[in-house]
Amino acid sequence: MEHKASIQPVEGGEVKLRNVTKQFGEDVAQTTVIQDCTFEVERGKFTVVIGPSGCGKTTLINVIAGYETPTSGEVVLDGATVSGPGPDRLVVFQETALFPWMTTLNNVMYGPVVQRDSQAADIEKKAHELIELVGLSEFSHKYPIQLSGGMQRRAELARALINNPRVLLMDEPFRGLDAMTRQLMQEYLLRLFEGSGRTILFVTSEIDEAILLADKLLVLSRAPTHVKATITVDLPRPRNLEMLTSRRYAELKSEALSILYQEAVSAFAAGSNAAADLVEAFEQRQSVQGKTDK
Amino acid sequence: MKQSSHGGSPARELTTWFQLRRWLKARWNLNLLLGVISLTTLAAVWELGKPLGIPLISNVPPPSEVIVAAQDLLTSEQYWQGWYLSLQRITIGFIIAQIIGIPLGLAMAINRMTFDTTFPVIEILRPIPPVAWIPISIVFWPTREMSVIFIVFLGAFWIVLLNTIGGASHIDPSYKRAALSLGSRPNDLFWKIILPATIPSIVTGMAVGMGISWEMVVASEMIAGDTGLGYLLWLSFQINAIGHVIVCMISIGIAGYCSSAIIRAAGEWATPWRRLF
Repeated sequence: MEHKASIQPVEGGEVKLRNVTKQFGEDVAQTTVIQDCTFEVERGKFTVVIGPSGCGKTTLINVIAGYETPTSGEVVLDGATVSGPGPDRLVVFQETALFPWMTTLNNVMYGPVVQRDSQAADIEKKAHELIELVGLSEFSHKYPIQLSGGMQRRAELARALINNPRVLLMDEPFRGLDAMTRQLMQEYLLRLFEGSGRTILFVTSEIDEAILLADKLLVLSRAPTHVKATITVDLPRPRNLEMLTSRRYAELKSEALSILYQEAVSAFAAGSNAAADLVEAFEQRQSVQGKTDK
Repeated sequence: MKQSSHGGSPARELTTWFQLRRWLKARWNLNLLLGVISLTTLAAVWELGKPLGIPLISNVPPPSEVIVAAQDLLTSEQYWQGWYLSLQRITIGFIIAQIIGIPLGLAMAINRMTFDTTFPVIEILRPIPPVAWIPISIVFWPTREMSVIFIVFLGAFWIVLLNTIGGASHIDPSYKRAALSLGSRPNDLFWKIILPATIPSIVTGMAVGMGISWEMVVASEMIAGDTGLGYLLWLSFQINAIGHVIVCMISIGIAGYCSSAIIRAAGEWATPWRRLF
């Protein structure tokens, strides 16, 4: 599929987290969700964060987006401390957050319209270009309810991209899509961003998705979360789904899974039900592998 | 053998039934036919109640008398003036309820201070049924007209207020977060996100409120009014013109149904994103 428009690089996009801690509640009811989290999202790279379920991935995104203020530590974007939400760090949410009362076109135009620094005609032209880029030209005057799950995510991507965010924060954006659509969306995302020089921080709980997309994979610990390991994904680009069968891919997956497994075991020991499923699945996998090796 | 031949005949009967149904559907809408049958049965039982001496039903004038009463009423000026005045009271009371209820509900949902100061008063007054307000309303308002409108207002007010508060305070937080990230100012957040997201709840509140408004206008006209459909109904009862009472009842039913239909149509027009898929 050829695109007339393409994604232009933007300046900046380097995100640094310095000893970020986030606690909720007070006194006895206080829980620490993020503990001393330090990492860097490199400019122009695809950074993927993966962690056991319930470990605080969404809280991490909320802190970077500026919806939550860290209890201590700071989030720094291109040298400036983040203090609240803004169009330089846009979030593509888990379930769609397109405004149901606006058409695709009005959703995409929303950012520049409320920012009020360009002409209405220019905004509309730019919006049409981006809607075409995500393949929704025929649907620009439809409401979100009339779009399929995959189309909604693409519309949301266009709504973010029109603002030229320095960093795109994607919080499990393909969750809730069926397996087939999910794969198509992963390939689509690769085609769209490979070589664009955009900075993306992508959160997922799916290991295949994580390795397929990532330049750098950050494996989170169980809650209170911090970065447990950083894995550089050196699979060549452009990537495609066939790489999921390569030897190097299997090695990377093994490495990431064993760290996730250790985290799940200790989370399970600490009383987390969510972790039990992962522990069980991993042990089954090990026993099957053991049999085939013999 | 026996089993299969036995199984054959109900199937044939079914086929005949389906053919009959298809025949009926082709020539006459079956639903319409069933509706006509049930209404005719009702009218017949009602009409024959008196000649056959069926208890209770024979206390009520039969449809033939109601039709005569309807001819009588429908040509009288008082009846049409009743329609006009009741509709006027509904419209004024209902609109004032929206003008106060919707902004107050939005303010209470958005602003903590407004909520904390207003909510205790509302929680004390709200459980009182609007009908219970009629005497104090007569004492309070200088004219009977105003007290009737006030009761209509109360009927619609609580429900639209509660629906607005509920709708505006249960907006999916991801809409607000997305809007903030995209650079919304507080004004944008209100007009482009909170208000449209609340409209469906407001429409529901209006539709229910309209029904309650009609109950209230009839009750308060009976007690406090000297005009209107509710008053006419009560007057007819007092002069023992039960046929007229029934015509008034049916008229009020029609008026309530049409008012709700208008609200529903307006609601669909205001929320095009909900009726499409």
